[in-house]
Amino acid sequence: MHPTDFTLRGAIEALTEGTISAEELTRAHLDAIERLNPRLNAYITVTAEQALEQAKASDERRRQGLAGPLEGVPLAIKDLFCTKGVRTTAGSRILGNFVPPYESTVSANLLRDGAVFLGKANLDEFAMGSSNATSAFGPVENPWSRRNDPETKLVPGGSSGGSAAAVAARLALGATATDTGGSIRQPAAFCGVAGIKPTYGRCSRFGIVAFASSLDQAGPVARTVEDCAILLRSMSGFDPKDSTSADVPVPDFAAACTRSVKGLRIGVPKEYRIEGMPAEIEALWRQGLEWLRDAGAELVEISLPHTKYALPTYYIVAPAEASSNLARYDGVRYGLRVEERGDDLTDLYERTRAAGFGAEVKRRIMIGTYVLSAGYYDAYYLKAQKVRALIKRDFDQAWDKVDAIVTPATPSAAFGMNEKTDDPVTMYLNDVFTVTANLAGLPGLAVPAGLDAQGLPLGLQVIGRAFDEETVFAVGAALERSANFTALPAVRVGA
Amino acid sequence: MQAELNGILGWIEQLQAVPTEGVEPMAGGGAVSMRMREDVVTDGGIRDAILANAPDREGDYFGVPKVVE
Repeated sequence: MHPTDFTLRGAIEALTEGTISAEELTRAHLDAIERLNPRLNAYITVTAEQALEQAKASDERRRQGLAGPLEGVPLAIKDLFCTKGVRTTAGSRILGNFVPPYESTVSANLLRDGAVFLGKANLDEFAMGSSNATSAFGPVENPWSRRNDPETKLVPGGSSGGSAAAVAARLALGATATDTGGSIRQPAAFCGVAGIKPTYGRCSRFGIVAFASSLDQAGPVARTVEDCAILLRSMSGFDPKDSTSADVPVPDFAAACTRSVKGLRIGVPKEYRIEGMPAEIEALWRQGLEWLRDAGAELVEISLPHTKYALPTYYIVAPAEASSNLARYDGVRYGLRVEERGDDLTDLYERTRAAGFGAEVKRRIMIGTYVLSAGYYDAYYLKAQKVRALIKRDFDQAWDKVDAIVTPATPSAAFGMNEKTDDPVTMYLNDVFTVTANLAGLPGLAVPAGLDAQGLPLGLQVIGRAFDEETVFAVGAALERSANFTALPAVRVGA
Repeated sequence: MQAELNGILGWIEQLQAVPTEGVEPMAGGGAVSMRMREDVVTDGGIRDAILANAPDREGDYFGVPKVVE
């Protein structure tokens, strides 16, 4: 077996048994990156030297009996997490030269537990996108391709497209990602891997470049549900540096993966049966529910009546918060500065922001500024906050009847790089099944569950109660066992 | 860009159809209310770290074009 084919759990066992060293495991991944990253563009920055140093230090800690829970595990870090001394771009020209003098809490937690960082994963600019096409560092190619049309390059989804593609192609055992409207779950589904957005407040946002602060959450992408559980445990935890960090205990998520789903009530929201949904997605959803029923769960039809308003609500709230958060990029304190002789301060701001931000980011800043402006605040922003409350209330009422909700993860399989790019609203519809969990602050897990007729992966989503990731993992792992998803992408190491 | 923005604004307009009378707007992302903390200095003395990424540094200050005539 090629060392890059280990699951994260399998790698931890091999490292513990001593059948492989962290250095060997890291070298295997760096070799894989060297071979495949020029094509996939999953990493913006590869930190090979630092990774090898970390791996050697990890092997030394293990020799001394000081192995942490992730000792020697090579990971990709989404380039939205600040990494001390390593360039952090957020996929934007405006941060193209930014080298953080501090470490994000989530990545610091992973280092504390012994992880090795291979590099910084590509993403949509400022995490705004569903195809990774808005990255200033070029698009990421999905390692999967259509069976009867292998030449068409597909998107990996977004915004965590680099994270998902790297994990699928065996360029990392797992990766950090972030999810504001579906940015972990949609790319995970498109790339045939697992990914969880935990409850808002579970992972600290400190040191993660901010997009929409009331929606942003960090989470892992990995090749199995259990691997996600292992990573999430390390990433989570109370952090006084994030005022919205939840001071709650972090359970053993991996242990929850072996829990039975017998007797669990699984909600099937009728509003998620959307018009124009491909028959294959509908069929996979039905199949997933049957698997759970066969495993002893009870299926309950529920109603989440405000579902259809979730996307427009999101596209008011998220741009509003983004327009405020991105005001900091002014060319003065860090990042890009563009100025010409004789410029005053306003010219400097304008020139810097015009050159530094891409089209999608500019669109969202302008929409956000508009919905927050004096004459429109009540009609748009306040209205959206109220509808958001109703969307959350729908879920609150559903939890009286069910323990988890199962839906498709995405309304389609991965699409071609040149498809769906002309109309922003069409692109926004990618997040139709995922965005509700962000608005309500709930955990959502994407699990690869099958293939479409073209041989592309399709995912199911499990949504749970706030801070009940354990039930989400139990249901996700049950789906994973039944689906027995063993298909592999065309582009991967060892292929 | 103008057509795209109008398209997006037209699309979000559908929220006006939702009855929201008496609904408390949801501001944050979590159920937990904000914590208070002691009003003390918890950080500081990291001038060089703060200035490390400055595009234009003048001594211990960020450099900008002349602001006051």
